[in-house]
Amino acid sequence: MLAIENLNVSYSHLQVLWDVSLQVSRGEVVTLIGSNGAGKSTLVSTIFGLNSSPTGRILLRDENILGLPTYEIVRRRLSLVPEKRELFPRMTVRENLELGAYVRSHGDALDHVFELFPILKDRQAQNAGTLSGGEQQMLAIGRCLMADPEIIVLDEPSLGLSPKLVHMVLGTVQRLNEEGLTILLVEQNVRRALEISHRGYVLESGRITKTGPAEELLHDDQIKEAYLGM
Amino acid sequence: MDGTIGILSQVAFWGLYSGCIYILLATGLNLIFGVMKIVNFAHGEFLMLGTYITFFLFVISGFNPYILLIGSIPILIIVGVIVERLCFRPILGTGKLNEIFISLGLIYIFQNLVALIWTDEWRSMRSPYADILINLGPIQLPLDYLIIITVTAMILVSLYIFLQKTTLGRAIRAASQNRKGAMLMGVNVEKVDMLTFGIGAGLAGAAGTLWAVSGQVFNPYMGSIPAIKGFAIIILGGLGSIPGAIIGGLAIGMVENFTAFTLGGSWKDAVSFILLIVVLVIRPTGLFGEAEE
Ligand SMILES: Nc1ncnc2c1ncn2[C@@H]1O[C@H](COP(=O)(O)OP(=O)(O)OP(=O)(O)O)[C@@H](O)[C@H]1O
Ligand SMILES: [Mg+2]
Repeated sequence: MLAIENLNVSYSHLQVLWDVSLQVSRGEVVTLIGSNGAGKSTLVSTIFGLNSSPTGRILLRDENILGLPTYEIVRRRLSLVPEKRELFPRMTVRENLELGAYVRSHGDALDHVFELFPILKDRQAQNAGTLSGGEQQMLAIGRCLMADPEIIVLDEPSLGLSPKLVHMVLGTVQRLNEEGLTILLVEQNVRRALEISHRGYVLESGRITKTGPAEELLHDDQIKEAYLGM
Repeated sequence: MDGTIGILSQVAFWGLYSGCIYILLATGLNLIFGVMKIVNFAHGEFLMLGTYITFFLFVISGFNPYILLIGSIPILIIVGVIVERLCFRPILGTGKLNEIFISLGLIYIFQNLVALIWTDEWRSMRSPYADILINLGPIQLPLDYLIIITVTAMILVSLYIFLQKTTLGRAIRAASQNRKGAMLMGVNVEKVDMLTFGIGAGLAGAAGTLWAVSGQVFNPYMGSIPAIKGFAIIILGGLGSIPGAIIGGLAIGMVENFTAFTLGGSWKDAVSFILLIVVLVIRPTGLFGEAEE
């Protein structure tokens, strides 16, 4: 469904991604792991047309979307929960969610979002900027779902959350996948992320160094040592 | 005693009336700043264009000048959209110096263009209601002032409803609160820039019509002083804050008129800037300024 081919990305003179290739098939959860600064967020923002001058190809349902403006990409039912959440702080929770449905042609997913995150229903009229970190993350995920995407990318959804919330958020990711959503997940909670994934990729210093079924990666000695602290 | 209150409320009313022009200018500036983070120093020239377009339409049509808002607002929206597309979009994000030079260039272009068409003589026009005074208790008010205040309020209410209730209005607010967030929701932010700039220019055009209708004189260079006050107001009220623009505009209108009344007309322009300096010293982000996010 999403295929990245030989992607190279630089910031001015510093090349950050080198010949990165990665696939996500319909119905899969694919985890991308990598240490800080490896280039994960760069990869994600490039998919969404937020970086200038990448080379390579990004195929969404066999159409090359590299070079399209962000709004054209989002209209193709690919949505992002960005690393910094990027909420609208002086709008209510409800308005943030409604903006999530900006590209949606009909219907809405409000009930579904409130069912996933009941706290958002209670906080509907509150400004997004006043929510706690966990609530903000739930809002960012909920807002992304409002667009009715077929595939979503989550950039470290558990960043800065308590262990209990991490569990809850990744549980929600798993549930969304069971409901049919295709997911590319960037995570530092490697064990839990791989447990809910079909496959995984390891990105190191801008290069894909390892890929395979999640089960296999969980038992890989190098990964155990580098990312699972064993 | 009654006499004093009468005079004071009369002065307050003048303040309210002259605040209207400032509010329309400053609201437009803040709308544009909110979304694009730029200041168009040629904003006063949109006001000036508004006065001449009104004057021109009035001469050829003879319509009630207030009706001519239907002309000046859309024409200025189109001018604003073109200026954004041709002048500001290419330099967006390239630095403040470019904005300043583009603005200065626009100021000269608009001033000279208008001088070429209509010469640089002072002009004025007369409202059909110019001689009508309304008695409100102890005070007497020109009917035109009341109409101008009402029209300004109606424009602001329409703008508020547009921004709060329509999809496009929400896209503008979203882009001004978080540009990247708006892009990720599928908002075409370049279209939003163009539209916002157009609305800002349209508000200045409305101010131009009201300026001309109220009988104030104008020439091709008249835009600079009101524009400078507009900049003072947005700094005073907080960059990007529309409530700040409204309250700041009212404050400047009131302060100017009370100063003119007590200290004399020559203090009128100076006092706005004294007020600005005082506020900046006490509160550098402006009265309603957002803390950096
Ligand atoms: N806008 C930018 N300009 C210049 N360099 C950048 C920019 N954004 C990221 N980089 C650099 O690119 C590299 C990759 O950054 P990126 O944010 O993609 O890493 P990441 O894998 O997401 O890290 P983290 O786990 O900390 O989020 C880093 O060395 C970073 O300093
Ligand atoms: Mg990152």
